Amino acid sequence: MKPYETYLLDRANVAGAHQLATFQKLGGYKGLEQVLKSGMTPAQVVDEMKKSGLRGRGGAGFSTGMKWSFMPDITKDPRVRYLAINADESEPGTCKDRVLMEKDPHGVIEGSLIAAFAIRASAVYIYVRGEYRLSHDRLLAAVKEARAAKFVGKNILDSDFSCEVFLHKGAGAYICGEETGLMESLEGKRGHPRQKPPFPAQSGLWNSPTTVNNVETVFNAPFIVQRGAAWHAGIGTQNSKGNFLCGISGHVNRPGVYELPFGTTAREILDEKAGGMWKGRQLKAWFPGGSSCALLTGADVDVVLDHDSLRARGSSLGTAAMVMMDDQTSIARVMEVIARFYEHESCGQCSQCREGTQWLSQIFRRIAHGKGQDDDVATIEALAKGMAPGKTICALSDAAAIPTLSAIKLFKEELIECIRQKRDPLGIPAPKYASVGAH
Amino acid sequence: MVKITVNGRVVDADPTKPLIRACHDNDVDVPMYCYHPGLTPVGSCRICQVEVRQGDAPGRVMVACRTAPVEGMIVDTESPKAHSTRRECLEFLLKNHPLDCPICDKAGECDLQDYTYDEGQAAGRSNEPRRPMEKRKSLGEVIVLDEERCILCSRCVRFFEEVPKKAQLTVSDLGSRSIISTFLDRPLSGNYQGNIADLCPVGALTLKKFRFRARVWNLVKMASTCVECSRGCSIQVEVLRGSDVKRFRPRANEKVNGYWMCDVGRFAFGHANAEGRLEGARVIEGIAPVQTPIETGLCAVRDALMATKGGLIVVSPFCTVEEGAALQDLARRHQAEIAFVSPAPNALKDDLLHTGDPCPNRRGLTDLGIVGESPDALVKRISAAKLVVVAGERVVELLGADAVKNLPSTVALYAFECHPVQSGALRAEIGIANHVERMGTIVNVDGVRGPLAAAKPAPRSVRALTRHLEDLARLSPRREAAAR
Repeated sequence: MKPYETYLLDRANVAGAHQLATFQKLGGYKGLEQVLKSGMTPAQVVDEMKKSGLRGRGGAGFSTGMKWSFMPDITKDPRVRYLAINADESEPGTCKDRVLMEKDPHGVIEGSLIAAFAIRASAVYIYVRGEYRLSHDRLLAAVKEARAAKFVGKNILDSDFSCEVFLHKGAGAYICGEETGLMESLEGKRGHPRQKPPFPAQSGLWNSPTTVNNVETVFNAPFIVQRGAAWHAGIGTQNSKGNFLCGISGHVNRPGVYELPFGTTAREILDEKAGGMWKGRQLKAWFPGGSSCALLTGADVDVVLDHDSLRARGSSLGTAAMVMMDDQTSIARVMEVIARFYEHESCGQCSQCREGTQWLSQIFRRIAHGKGQDDDVATIEALAKGMAPGKTICALSDAAAIPTLSAIKLFKEELIECIRQKRDPLGIPAPKYASVGAH
Repeated sequence: MVKITVNGRVVDADPTKPLIRACHDNDVDVPMYCYHPGLTPVGSCRICQVEVRQGDAPGRVMVACRTAPVEGMIVDTESPKAHSTRRECLEFLLKNHPLDCPICDKAGECDLQDYTYDEGQAAGRSNEPRRPMEKRKSLGEVIVLDEERCILCSRCVRFFEEVPKKAQLTVSDLGSRSIISTFLDRPLSGNYQGNIADLCPVGALTLKKFRFRARVWNLVKMASTCVECSRGCSIQVEVLRGSDVKRFRPRANEKVNGYWMCDVGRFAFGHANAEGRLEGARVIEGIAPVQTPIETGLCAVRDALMATKGGLIVVSPFCTVEEGAALQDLARRHQAEIAFVSPAPNALKDDLLHTGDPCPNRRGLTDLGIVGESPDALVKRISAAKLVVVAGERVVELLGADAVKNLPSTVALYAFECHPVQSGALRAEIGIANHVERMGTIVNVDGVRGPLAAAKPAPRSVRALTRHLEDLARLSPRREAAAR
């Protein structure tokens, strides 16, 4: 791997960076200061983001500058506007935002404030995953410190810009990480995603224009503001710019969160960062970006990690959370676990998702436990096609269908073998699971 | 208004209303579960999928309830893609449905049944055990919930939020474990609970008073009007094989009741089905009433009216416009005074439908020129009068059964009533048809005319008041003619 410059995790690696003094010593809040004191207009910040080529890090990979520019013109639409930071990081395999929030919470706040300035938001809501206690506590302490130092609140750094930062703790629902579900939850309702349109930029939180950004996305903003869009656009591949945080987990020697420039291959990350597969085994299958994207096989490990290359392979970068599985992994068991996850997390609004996720989970559980039936694979395929794409209000149904279809495409023989032998040849004697409804 | 093409036909569509509305308004059937024209669309059941093309973009399957019509939109509700998406959706909906249609009250008017037949999908692929749930959960005095049948369309939840504006139901738990429930399982309250049984597209919410009483295909349904208050909600009277009224249900009428009716009106079929009706006519001879042919009763009324000037005709507020006019005519012929009973408003008034006024045809009778008087005032006038004719359904009840019973024997009382009259002053009584047995018109509080339908046959030898009054007019020569 070629040497490369890091910036995202630099502060996080310094002890005590979660405290304001250390944070400022490391150059913190300089980006915000620059925006507010250099007389930049919000439109210029948005423009800078567009030029930098930064893409959302929450999974969809949409251009951040574009997203910010969707907010209605303040001269025509005087409604109050909001920025919601999606810190409900619960995609299986993903733990990158947690590192930022725990080790560098001021960086998250600084990025949020720059984003809030760009979209003229008067309040930032950071929706923190309920299980992330330390993240929440560190952010809370950081907001307090920042407020005392006039970085948050009225007339930040004596400028005209005022912005409040509020924290909200989730209660453990995956669906609240979907942007409209998150907004419903913030409003105090059940986290049932809303039908789009209207998009959040037109009518979001309390029917006001709202932008929802991922933690890592806004975390990039201060660096781009300080070092310029051209610098950011110079890193990475054609359509994927900058460094990204890659969480690698599964059957590897050194799982963790690593900062890498776009354009790194999966093999480089696996071998040089994660120390290769454990116990000298071979890579059988892997998720490039959390469990909601299509599985890839060991043969795909040379793929360059960026949005376009993974799309070309029929998968997606998602949250860049690589889950590596070795050659002794039973795909039937993997899919059983994943289907069970989506069954448990479906909000239950749309028929396809509510019933489909349960049905998939039931069939995969049967197959993994040696009770598969001859037509199961065909049924799974038909069900997954009935659940996606774009047939439901939000993308959770798609997220359950995509890995399912990829497992059928890549590992059909293995699943059929489980059904034929009436046992899972790779399965370890599985513990008896309580029925999912019993939680 | 924008112009869109639906199944090859160019139609006008209101861009502020969802596409499904434009389809329905133009008689194009699009299936729906969560959508209801009276509620906010949520787009969660995903059954109303239609194929939509805009400009040069390829056709996309979209939910018609959350898509706004746009000028030039081309909609195909019957395309193969739309059908296959609906079929998939139905298969998912039926995955956990208990398929207990043979014992389900909704069978025959169930949307899940109907659309499944429409799509012609007989076999399901699921052989998983179905979700076991509570089969008969009481939600108060009106409604029973069968959780297994529920398809979680959330119409009932939205109804309470949006119509009586008092949220009582919610979807609790997540995903395939979702259920409809009230807060801490408290019973439902209010005067509008029954509507959720009509709203329920499947047999999950049923009325305790209708459960297992009839199969819906045996019910004869007639358009009529509710008479329990002066709102006059448009209703459908449903009668089981020419016997009893089994159900009143609201009929959509934007001018009056929207899609709803109150529980007081909904369960008022006690009056319609009441036993112990007054049949034919009864004339008091000595102290005991004697059953006579109707003509004998009518002759007794005629003779009394001819003999005594200045009688009083007391009209029930349940009388239709036609009956009011005929009674007014009778009063004019015999120079009698006329008034209708106007009881005080009751406590049922709310700001949704119930007006609290127990006189369904107050407006119609007032428009005719008949004056309403309080029961007390009328009883006083009756006690002072020599000859009194009371006419119409429930007139004795509204005057006060005790007051009528204790009338002085100086009064000669003649009654056209549904039920036998208990009174020392009674001279003759003639049975009449009630509000589900006769036709007519009533005018509601806002001046909207509503029909009454003869949905149920009247008991033998019971006729409508208008028939009696016609005969009475034939039997009594006009005064002028008699004088000549």
